[in-house]
Amino acid sequence: MGIQDIIEGKKQWRAHMARVKALPPDYQIVYQEMQRYFFKVGPVDLPDGPLLSGIVDFFEEGAANGKGVLQLIGNDVAAFCDDLIKDSRTYADIYQQSISGKPGTADK
Amino acid sequence: MNFWETITGSDLTREWKAFEARAEALPADYRAAWEEINRHLSPYTDFTGRNLIPILDGALGLLEETAADGQSIHEVLGDDIEGFCAALAGGQGARSYRDRWREQLNRNVARKLGRLGG
Amino acid sequence: MDHLTEMLKGTLEGCVLEIIDSEETYGYAITRRLNELGFADVVEGTVYTILLRLERNRLVQVTKRPSGLGPPRKFYALNEAGRQELATFWAKWEYITSRIDKLKEGRR
Repeated sequence: MGIQDIIEGKKQWRAHMARVKALPPDYQIVYQEMQRYFFKVGPVDLPDGPLLSGIVDFFEEGAANGKGVLQLIGNDVAAFCDDLIKDSRTYADIYQQSISGKPGTADK
Repeated sequence: MNFWETITGSDLTREWKAFEARAEALPADYRAAWEEINRHLSPYTDFTGRNLIPILDGALGLLEETAADGQSIHEVLGDDIEGFCAALAGGQGARSYRDRWREQLNRNVARKLGRLGG
Repeated sequence: MDHLTEMLKGTLEGCVLEIIDSEETYGYAITRRLNELGFADVVEGTVYTILLRLERNRLVQVTKRPSGLGPPRKFYALNEAGRQELATFWAKWEYITSRIDKLKEGRR
């Protein structure tokens, strides 16, 4: 499943976004900005991994406990995002590997 | 005529057609940005262009998502589309661009939450 | 003490492992525990990214349980690999602190 699938009205994606829309406004804003950041950075497991749905789980819980979103994740949203994808390879990483042509760097 | 048609073999035609169909659906300024992204990414391609497919997929996804939000293309990509593409491909200058995305993210959050009156 | 984030970074994961080891627990409780210890800067989001990594690296066992309000909560317990990781963490900690203490004792 590519990113276009999750964006283009796939049922799963619509359900996911419906959950986002149900969050308090401050959570929605932060979620949208985070997602946009991830799209640019391009971690490979973004489209079908648990990253995005996990964030919504986490946000729902925080909202249910009456917390503001920045209270929950801190002011440095970008640092939070980077922590989330610290172990993930990005498409740019893979691309760089493919041109470096080093034997053994290619993923199995 | 784009570089895909000149460079890619037929096995990628299907992917490319799908990209084009998606790009058609974008607003005009976004479509122009997409073409510019293509142009700037072309130096990064190998013979088949296969290595760029996921990167282009991500970029197009970003355009689709932000267009649906009604944002201006400028707000999304800034002035430096070439730098944006270098960062997408992880080339030189990628790090500084990623820093800029980081700042942009935090700034957008601060601004939009401020507007919310929170 | 404020602004410990940088220095804490590498050790926080070990702290979380230790807290989970003493009892099965969930993100918010772990955060509170760290705050009570005096790490006031640690927010839930930080703990969330650590738990995610522990889960991905298969160091914890995760159980979803219904919570009083809001969505179900994820509870974490260490598995065998997690306990080993914790032991490694304390060994490294001993090593580093003993060296640094030595350095400190040597100062005039």
